Amino acid sequence: MNIVHIPDAFIPLTQAAVYWVIALIFIALSLRWARNEMKEEKVPLVAVLAAGIFAIQAVNVPIPWGTSGHMMGAALAAIVLGSPFAAIFVLTLVLIVQGVLFGDGGITVMGANIINMGVIGGFVGFYSYKGLNSAIRNPYPAAFIAGWLSLFVAALVCAVEMAIAGTFPIEIGLISMGLYHAVIGVIEGGITAVALYLIYTARPDLISDNAGVAA
Amino acid sequence: MGRENLIYFGVIIALVIAVAAPFVASSNPDGLESAFFGVFGAKEVQGSDLDEEAAGAAEEQVQEVTGNTFSFASPFPDYSIEGMEKAGEALVIVIGTLLVLAIAFGLGRVLSRSE
Repeated sequence: MNIVHIPDAFIPLTQAAVYWVIALIFIALSLRWARNEMKEEKVPLVAVLAAGIFAIQAVNVPIPWGTSGHMMGAALAAIVLGSPFAAIFVLTLVLIVQGVLFGDGGITVMGANIINMGVIGGFVGFYSYKGLNSAIRNPYPAAFIAGWLSLFVAALVCAVEMAIAGTFPIEIGLISMGLYHAVIGVIEGGITAVALYLIYTARPDLISDNAGVAA
Repeated sequence: MGRENLIYFGVIIALVIAVAAPFVASSNPDGLESAFFGVFGAKEVQGSDLDEEAAGAAEEQVQEVTGNTFSFASPFPDYSIEGMEKAGEALVIVIGTLLVLAIAFGLGRVLSRSE
């Protein structure tokens, strides 16, 4: 087991505080989503997705260049539950448990991790899926590309944060983060598409109408 | 498949992944960590050899760069229980999975019922 999220030492405290403020705004919006949009009968599905995403994040898959990567899960949560705010809700819970119990991802920098994985992952995953699915009318390739893109963009944003922090020079940060996560994104996209297929095949009614799988 | 069955099936899959994770997961540095080692000279971007000494030094160097020396002693650092090898890792990942399940379910119930 190794670190998988930004640790405390990677971002100065003042910048970490800014990320926390931004994250808290999105957490508040995700709680509003849960109160207004999340139907009670969807709660078990939300809980199972959160548990599954926690478990799968512990599985680091080897990629070339002596590196590994794991799934993020935000695109899947957003697509299945029909809102990017669902991904923020789920990923925030997962990140709090990982950080507090297992020291996986820092405490002061948790806001940055919530922004990257929950907010960026959720919004990029959800809207790229929606756009692609309405264009190609096939949910599974759309989910694959949305999953890939959500991870890739989140990694590039992380590289920019590292550059602002002074931890990585921008160029080598973007190149190495982009290179590794372009490969890790294949895992993200693949699992997103397969999980969507399995859930939809088992219970089509459980997938949010917003996801448009049936179209 | 009934709704309840899908949920139980999902929980079982999550637990199977949790138990298997320590045994199948790669111990290579992950994407962010690998990029970090590349920047601090412990590893080539496209190389697979990690200089352990430089990697250890990098973790101290980065604290000097950012000035963030915050540290927090989590109860199960790196998903492990002291003295227990892979079985301990599997156990704490199972505990974490069930905890996330319980918190999400409890919080979800409370929020979805409030108007």
